[in-house]
This record gives sequence, structure tokens and C-alpha cells, in this order.
Amino acid sequence: MKRALLIFTLVLTAFTLFANGQDESADGPVTLEFWTHEDPNRDAIETRYVEEFMASHPDVTVNRVTHSSKKIFELVLTAFAANAGPDIFNMQIEQAYSYIVNERVAPVDYLAAGFADASDMINQYVDGSLDSVIKDGDVYGMPLELNNWAVYVNKRVFADAGLDAEKDYPKTWEEMADISEKLVLRDGQIITRRGFDFRYPYYLISMIPMVEQLGGQLVSDDGKTAILGDDAWIKFLTYMQEWGPNGRNLGSPTYKNGRKLFNMDNNDMAMCLSGLYQGARIRSDNQEFYDSGDWMIIPYPTFENAVNDVASNFYGQYYMVNAQNSAKDIKTAWALTGYMMGHEEEYLEAVNIVPPTKKLMNSETFKNMPYSNVFVDDLARANVVYTAENGAKMEELVKEAVESVMLSGISPVQAHATLKAKAQELLDEM
Amino acid sequence: MGASAKPGRIERKLARWGVIFVTPSIIFFSIFSFYPIIMALYTSLFKKNLLSLKKPAFVGLSHYKYLFTSPDFWNSVEATFVFAMGTFLPLLVLSLALAAFIMSVPKAKRFFQMAYYTPAVISSVVSAAIWLLIFDPRGLANQWVNFIMNTPGIDHRWLANSMTVRISTMIVYFWKYVGYFVIIFISGLASIPPSMYEAARIDGADGWQSFWRITFPLLRPTVVLVSIMSMLQCLKTFSTQYLFTQSGAPQAPINVITLNIYNTGIRDFRIGRASAMSIILFIIMLFFTWLQFKLSKADDVSY
Repeated sequence: MKRALLIFTLVLTAFTLFANGQDESADGPVTLEFWTHEDPNRDAIETRYVEEFMASHPDVTVNRVTHSSKKIFELVLTAFAANAGPDIFNMQIEQAYSYIVNERVAPVDYLAAGFADASDMINQYVDGSLDSVIKDGDVYGMPLELNNWAVYVNKRVFADAGLDAEKDYPKTWEEMADISEKLVLRDGQIITRRGFDFRYPYYLISMIPMVEQLGGQLVSDDGKTAILGDDAWIKFLTYMQEWGPNGRNLGSPTYKNGRKLFNMDNNDMAMCLSGLYQGARIRSDNQEFYDSGDWMIIPYPTFENAVNDVASNFYGQYYMVNAQNSAKDIKTAWALTGYMMGHEEEYLEAVNIVPPTKKLMNSETFKNMPYSNVFVDDLARANVVYTAENGAKMEELVKEAVESVMLSGISPVQAHATLKAKAQELLDEM
Repeated sequence: MGASAKPGRIERKLARWGVIFVTPSIIFFSIFSFYPIIMALYTSLFKKNLLSLKKPAFVGLSHYKYLFTSPDFWNSVEATFVFAMGTFLPLLVLSLALAAFIMSVPKAKRFFQMAYYTPAVISSVVSAAIWLLIFDPRGLANQWVNFIMNTPGIDHRWLANSMTVRISTMIVYFWKYVGYFVIIFISGLASIPPSMYEAARIDGADGWQSFWRITFPLLRPTVVLVSIMSMLQCLKTFSTQYLFTQSGAPQAPINVITLNIYNTGIRDFRIGRASAMSIILFIIMLFFTWLQFKLSKADDVSY
């Protein structure tokens, strides 16, 4: 028994000693764990930036790790829950917002990142692009990219259906359904070619603006009331019911992701919703199609009787730095982030993503990108995506409502009532 | 005195070796099972945000009270039981039938064992991904069913309809685990002495009578083992439902308790409430294990 107690004490002592082992002295070397989502085009340039940074900072080692974009959220979350989060990571603002409100990320070290102060940084970015990451006057994230979505059109599929994409492209959601009806091909009930389909997992970005066009809102401006504008919601849900397999059978969440099919140009997807970055992905997946000039980008449609002119919501990917680190690590992490994001033109040219600095948005490089004007015009009539701690749950509730009318035969009135009750309960719980 | 002390020493020695052999398992289970269960029980009494560094507030049993009045949680309980019953019973019955069939064809025994067991070695995520392709509207499931039923062009909506999506998850699970339980039944069948059947044959028993009077009673411990294992597997199903909902399938019909725990804890950061759900699931699993032992009564058999 005494021996067992002795062994237990020794093990405990060893754990205590090693638990403090990761503390680094103020003068010692710095090792940074840098987690980001997979993007082959971005990997190439960021790997080079990291190597350059380590060459100019011999005491710094950076371990850049990529994860699937679907998995990175839970990997970072579980790492932070265990107080072992990465030093630098990037995340979409709907997900990253909780890290700011829970004080898990450090404000930007402005000098280290290449700015004079907070206002200098805010002034260098496009208006509104940092709003979601500002808390008490400090900025907590550096934008890797700002995205809004427009409609990519395959002119060859239009021609195959006897349409001229340049003239016949849809301007309204009603036209979108009618033109999709002309483009769709089916084997019985099974769709073999879709005219257009939505990006179903992203309801807050792509579908809430449709409700807003009709005069509805997800959450009131004071954040206390959910699902405003009953008629708008019911009309939107009716539209989605008509879109689905129980209606005009134009698409469904269970079909393969439309934008991936679009790149391959296999005459099975005429239109899809995506950001400017899709251009680089078409180029990388199908150079011949990219160079052919047989694709174009059109603005996000509006309903015929829209009361608000809004386009797809915009969202950002932000680089953030773990606050549970020494001041030296935090400073070095922001220095690396600032160094990488100082190459904004290369991010645009090589990856087709837009770090939203005023300098880049006004540059010839940006203006010369194919169809960048469509995104800029849509951005002018876009709102930022809903960001709150309950954002993911709110998206789940909207998903449930849309899928219940599209797939489960629930009436739009009933789905709206359920959504309203659940969303209000969610807000009341906060 | 000396004669009586000797067996005591041997027993003590054996007991010491017993403790040595069992210790690694106890340590393993203590770290990876008992500790998490106790922590989950403790966490379920607090309102804790997974990301927050603030001290969680003690809320007592309020998470349990909330869950017992939450339609969302009751929907998960229903989804779990529908899945468990719809998968457990076919698994039990058909794996026994398949094992009996394989034992009756000794020449092809190895081939069938391998064929049925192969899916069991594939990870749950991979098997769900394979079936996602099969259940795609343009996938093999529609093609096979339409070919067999001569219904060209019909979309059976394997992932799009409340009822079919439930059946689809059951098919995936059945396909994955049937081979595993077949192997266990084959081991059980092989341990029954052939002399029993010979004696029965001499007494005039036919195959059906031999099965019900000899095989089934002597296989009872294996049946109990398989039923408990398959029921527990079904109650803790997760990957298939998770991947299906990620791929556009409606969530409500397949929102099993484990999926609800994941969404509540990881997506909504409510780790206190998620822990309460996991404790309830643990109690349900414990109850069914006890019930199956109780119903089976005899869990030992002698020849």
C-alpha cells in the first residue's frame, strides 16, 4: 500500500512538472501551431510565406497544418475546450464569433501586424468588413477573405436547351424557376441535369436574403424577436416547396453539391451559386472550360415584387490568434499573420480570394478579374451574415423548416409556425 | 497447520497474478470510461459553455427537467428506439439464420464468413460514405430497385423522405454489423457437441426439432451476448446519421440521441445539457442490458 502511494505520488509529481513544460521563456525560441482549411491554391503561397518568415525570424518555428473545411470547426473547438488550441487559426465569422465573445482570441497586435493602431487598421479595410470582429474598440481578426455569392452560368448548357445565356439569364427568382424548368433533364422523377440548385448547408448566407427581399427578417434589430414578417417567410417557404421534389422537382438537398458539378462541365449543372473564388477552382479542375469563355457570372436574383433590394449575405474568413499564450507568442503570431496578409494581390491572383482592403478592391488587378464587378455591385446591396453565439442553431432551424416543406410534405404555414416558435425559444434562452 | 496454510498461499499467489492481469484493463476503463462517465454526471449539473473560461454556474437537475419536457429530446428518444428496434431485431434473427446456413455448407464456409465479415472491418464513416453514393438519386439503390420492380425512373428518395431515410440508416447498420454477429453465432454453434445431434437423430428428431430443442437452448448464452451487444451498438449509433444529415437528409427522423448530444455540445457549445443527455442514454443502455439478462434468466449452460 505504501509502495503504491509512493508510485502514485511520483507519477503525480511528474505530471505536474511536465504540465508546465510548454511555458517558454521571454527570450527563448517560439513555436507556432498554425491551423487552416485545405485550399491547394492557397497552400502553395502560404507555405512560401511561412518559410520566408522563418528565414527572417530564425528563433521562430511555424507548423502549418491544413484540415478539411468541414472538420476544422470541430477540431479547433475541441482543441480550445481542452485548452490546447492552435496559436493561429482561421474560421468563418459565424463560427468564429463565439471565440471573441468568450475571450479565447487576442486582439490584433497592431504594430506587429503592420498597422499604427486600431483606427489605422479599420481605415485600411473596406467599410463594414471588420464590424463582426470588433469588440470594445479592438479588432480580433484579420480578414483572409470576404465573400459574397453570385450565380455562375454555363452558356453551353443554355445553348443545349435552345437558350441564349447572355439574353435569357434569370433576373428574378420566378425566372430562375421557369428557366430551370427549361434546362432540367429527368429520367422519370430522377434529375439528370439541373438548371440551378441552392447551396443547402448555407441557409443563412444564401436564403435569408430571399426572405429579406420579401420584407421578412430572421431576427429583429434589437435581437429580441425571431422570424419577423410572416407573409414573407410563408412565401419563401412556398417557393422552396415548389422547388423541391414534391413540387416542380428542380433540385433537392440530397443531390450532389452543384458547384462541384459545375466545374466539370458535364452538361449536368447549368447554374450554381458561389463566390469569386470559384473561378480559381474552375481553372484548377477544368482549365479548358475556364479558358473557353463559355461561363459567366450574373447577379443574385430578386423576387419580382421584392420590397428590399438585397443580394446574398457576405461573410468572412478571419485569421485569429489564441489568447492563451505568452505575449511574445501572440506578438509573433500577429507578425506572421500581418506578413502573410501583406501579399493581398497574390491571394487574389493565385487563389481568387479577396482580402477586403481598400487598396486591393481599388486595384487594377481586382478590377481586371473576370466578373469582379458583379460581386462588387452585389456587395453594395448585401448585408453581413447573422453572427451570434446561437448562429449555428439558428441555421439548423431554418434548414429544418426548408427541408420539411421540400422533403417531408409539411405545409409552409406549419413549417413557419414551428420555426417561429423554436427560433423565439432559442433567442429567449440567450 | 502447515497443511492448511499451503493452499492459502497458492490462492494468494493466484489472486496476485489475477490482480496483475486485470490491472491494465481497470486502468484503461478507469481513464476512458469511468472517469468520463463521472465527469459527464458532474458536468450535467452545471450550465457550462464549451468555449467559456468563466466558472460554470451550478444548476442542479434543471438540465434533466428541461430534457424531460423538451419535444426535441423526446423526438431523439423516439428516433433512437425506432432505429434500435428496426435494426436490432433483424440483426439478431438474420445473423442467427445466416450462421446456421453457413454451418450447413462446410465447403463454402470460409467464403461466406469472409464475405459477411468484410463490412465490419470498414470504419462507420467509410461505410456511410459508400452508402451515400448508393442512395444518391442517380445511384445504385434506385437502379436496383427499379430494375427488380420494373419501375423505371422512380426516385425512391432514400435520403429525402422521413420514412425512407430511417430505413436507409437501418440498412447501412445491418449491412455493417451482420457479419460480425454471424461470426459470433458460428462460434456458438461450433461449441455445441455433435453427439447431441446424433443422439437426437437416433431418437427420430428432424432438423427443425433439433434446432428448437437442441441448438436454440444451448445457444442461449450466445443469443444473450449478441442481443446485448447489438442493442448497445444500435443505441449508440452516430456516424451514419451524422453523415446523412450533413449530406442533405432531413434531421428530425434520424436525430438519434447521440447526434443530439453532438449538436448540443459541439455545435451549440452547451456541454452541460449534452452531458445530461449522455447520462440519460447511459441509463437507458444500462436498463436494457439488465432487462436482457433478466429475460434470458439462464446465462450459463452445461452439456
